[in-house]
Amino acid sequence: MAARHQFENSNEIGVFAALTNSYCLAAIGGSENFYSVFEAEVGGEVPIVKASLAGTRLVGRLSVGNKHGLLLPTSATDQEVMHIRNSLPDEVFVQRTEERLSALGNCVACNDHVALVHPDIDQETEEIVADVLGVEVFRQSVAGNVLVGSFCKFSNQGGIVHPQASVLEVDELSSLLQVPLVAGTINRGSDVLGAGLLVNDWAAFCGLDTTSTEIQVIENIFQLHHADSSKAVRDIRASLLDTLV
Amino acid sequence: MQYNFKKIAVVPPASEFIDAVLSRTQRQTPTVVHAGYAVTRIRQFYMRKVKYTQQSWNEKLSRILEDFPRVDDVHPFYGDLLNVLYDKDHYKLALGQLNTARAMIDKIAKDYVKLLKYGDSLYRCKQLKRAALGRMCTIMKKHAASLAYLEQVRQHMSRLPSIDPNTRTILVCGYPNVGKSSFMNKVTRADVEVQPYAFTTKSIYVGHTDYKYLRWQVLDTPGILDRPLDERNTIEMQSITALAHLRAVVLYIVDISEQCGFTIAQQAALFHSIKPLFANKPLVVAINKIDVRKLEDLSEADRSLIDGMRDAMRGPAAMQLGDDDAFPIMSTLSENGVMEVKNRCCDLLLAHRVEQKLASRRAGEVMNRLHVATPVPRDNKARPAYVPPTLEASRARKAAGEKIITEKDLQEQNGGAGVYSADLRKRYMLENDDWKYDIVPEIYNGKNVADFIDPEIEAKLAELEREEEELEAKWEASRMDREPQEPELDEDERALLGEVRTRRNKLVAEHRRKKSAANNNPVVPRKADAERKLNTSNMKESLESMGLDASAAVERARSRSRVVKRGRSTLRDRDEDMSNADGEDKKKMRTSKSRSKSVAKRVGDDKGAGFKSVDDRMRAAKLADKAQRKRNKQAKAGEADRSIGNTLPKWLNSGKRGNGKTDRR
Repeated sequence: MAARHQFENSNEIGVFAALTNSYCLAAIGGSENFYSVFEAEVGGEVPIVKASLAGTRLVGRLSVGNKHGLLLPTSATDQEVMHIRNSLPDEVFVQRTEERLSALGNCVACNDHVALVHPDIDQETEEIVADVLGVEVFRQSVAGNVLVGSFCKFSNQGGIVHPQASVLEVDELSSLLQVPLVAGTINRGSDVLGAGLLVNDWAAFCGLDTTSTEIQVIENIFQLHHADSSKAVRDIRASLLDTLV
Repeated sequence: MQYNFKKIAVVPPASEFIDAVLSRTQRQTPTVVHAGYAVTRIRQFYMRKVKYTQQSWNEKLSRILEDFPRVDDVHPFYGDLLNVLYDKDHYKLALGQLNTARAMIDKIAKDYVKLLKYGDSLYRCKQLKRAALGRMCTIMKKHAASLAYLEQVRQHMSRLPSIDPNTRTILVCGYPNVGKSSFMNKVTRADVEVQPYAFTTKSIYVGHTDYKYLRWQVLDTPGILDRPLDERNTIEMQSITALAHLRAVVLYIVDISEQCGFTIAQQAALFHSIKPLFANKPLVVAINKIDVRKLEDLSEADRSLIDGMRDAMRGPAAMQLGDDDAFPIMSTLSENGVMEVKNRCCDLLLAHRVEQKLASRRAGEVMNRLHVATPVPRDNKARPAYVPPTLEASRARKAAGEKIITEKDLQEQNGGAGVYSADLRKRYMLENDDWKYDIVPEIYNGKNVADFIDPEIEAKLAELEREEEELEAKWEASRMDREPQEPELDEDERALLGEVRTRRNKLVAEHRRKKSAANNNPVVPRKADAERKLNTSNMKESLESMGLDASAAVERARSRSRVVKRGRSTLRDRDEDMSNADGEDKKKMRTSKSRSKSVAKRVGDDKGAGFKSVDDRMRAAKLADKAQRKRNKQAKAGEADRSIGNTLPKWLNSGKRGNGKTDRR
């Protein structure tokens, strides 16, 4: 199930939190509401860490991680890194990178096996991503946008990319990532999927504005209720085509 | 494009039309005019009436002409329907007449306004106006018939069903009384009248139904008889129009019971005769009234006729759907098979439309959003999803209603948001839980503790240092190769170097001393004297060449850059020299030792002259000096220089005295 969620009246929950298969980072907010929703949904399976990065609450955009590790920007302070390291299990590598493009969440999109990175990212960072996160790394852009982390989101089961990505491009990305992909939106038509959506292999959270159609697409493509990912689309494909074209 | 004929404004009959326009003129233009007015004003008055009337006609007629759809511009279905119902020629003629009337009225107004310009009295102007309005009204009276006809057309059009010719449509057709309207009533809520006689339905009816999340328009057409096109009546022609122009799925209903009064053979004949109208459209032939007679009960001949129709039914779309051979059969009475027939129609049409739309250019923009890309495997590596083993159990617990105590609950219990401060360290995963709340210093012995968080940091550092040393050594070695070495200095050279340096230092010191001794004396800036010609020797030369004695001037000029000595002796000497040089016997002050000098009353200058103390005064003087120094060096005007802020003061140069008669002081 994809739960609708909000951080202090903002729909961009992907900015203020990060969710992977082995942990969840959440920003420290004014109240415990934001944190507790994660606690209730995924608290039994993964540790949820209340953290800040570089003194800001933008933990989702500044960091990138998967089951194996977590990359933090160089601007994260020693104390923040220590706090995160103490809160995560030992199997998760926590590493800081000296990357000029410090919003790692915007520049890197990854699941547990593959990562897409910003075409201009450092060679060194690329290696660090490969080593720490244990992934194959591809320099890519999505629908002409270099911020791959913002404009696509994928788990090990499926993914969703920028709504303007062409059929060819989606096919290519799908073969690269080896997961089914669909072009779609979040938060009532927003194309910044990375900011509106938090997803791992069994849970998902999306912004409060997300429509039920968008949620339907998300649940199908990320296989959150064990259904055939393309079935829903196939069912109504003809109707949609007739209405939209 | 929407076809809504309900918004056409009412077309008034001619007499009402005329009354409306004339009374409007009366109400909206001035009514009082007198013969005593200037004739231009009278002309103006009547011209305005004529023009205003013309404008009113023009407006109203234009409105009518715009409101009525132009037969050639609307969708061909509506074009033909209008033709069938109202006779295109008649319709066009009526509109054309109104158009002509409008043009004529404009012409009349123009002419009479021209004539009014020559009206020389109130009476004549008024007669001209009367004539103009009268002629306009006569023209409109002549078109009374057209107006009446258009009003009738308007009323009929506003009652036409609002058929959207472009949407998904099921077009039901067949012989009269085969059950078309019954089908319509079953699948939509249109509630069409159903009676057991032919031509119950006399015009096209519209109903709407839902299928696959879409709205479908169902058109119930009047029954058609099998006869040549030119013999068909208006009611039949409406069906033919719809069949010819709408891109719809055609549902041809066959009455198997023959209760409608037409045999199956007749129905098959009609089907084949109107078959050209089904070209490029999906087609479904449905057998109705199976409650009365089963398909199996048919005679061999009828059976083959029906099979013949079925073969025609197989269009390209049907092939695409992989349709089975089952003949759509239904009974609108018992509702058996009605929905199957509807669904089949809809599926066929949808497949047909999608096929067409996919070929269009716009499909690409939408397709990417409907496309689920499935990966082509690029290697044999497994990329499994990770689902935690505890997930099922915890979901089951949640489903069983187990309550999790979240931070939010704790917050509510402990004073709410803003009061409750969450414990960040509660969930630390450390080897020993006792360490959770240990205080870890940030800085220890002047070192950042976080830098030493790695247990192998020492080894790594040593390795790094070793590497750096190696690199440095390598670089050093390569530098030796790169740069030629200079030999060391020997004893003599070193001594020489020392001397050079001492001398230089001395020169600098001397220069500085002189500079400070010159104090605030202005010097000619380098900018003004780039070639350094403005010196005393040059001055002397130039003055002497003119035959002047330059010694005093040189002395004066030099004194500025020379250290000024104090003391009476020099002063006196100079005075004497000067007097000798001038060659004049100057009066000299005689002093007598005997006369004691009168001493002025000493003012205590140690008091500081307005400053707190002497030190302060000195400091102030020094600061003032210093502030002045730069300006003096650049020979700029300072605050001591005379300045006249305002060269032409108003009070001096205005008033009775005339121009600049008085000096300012």
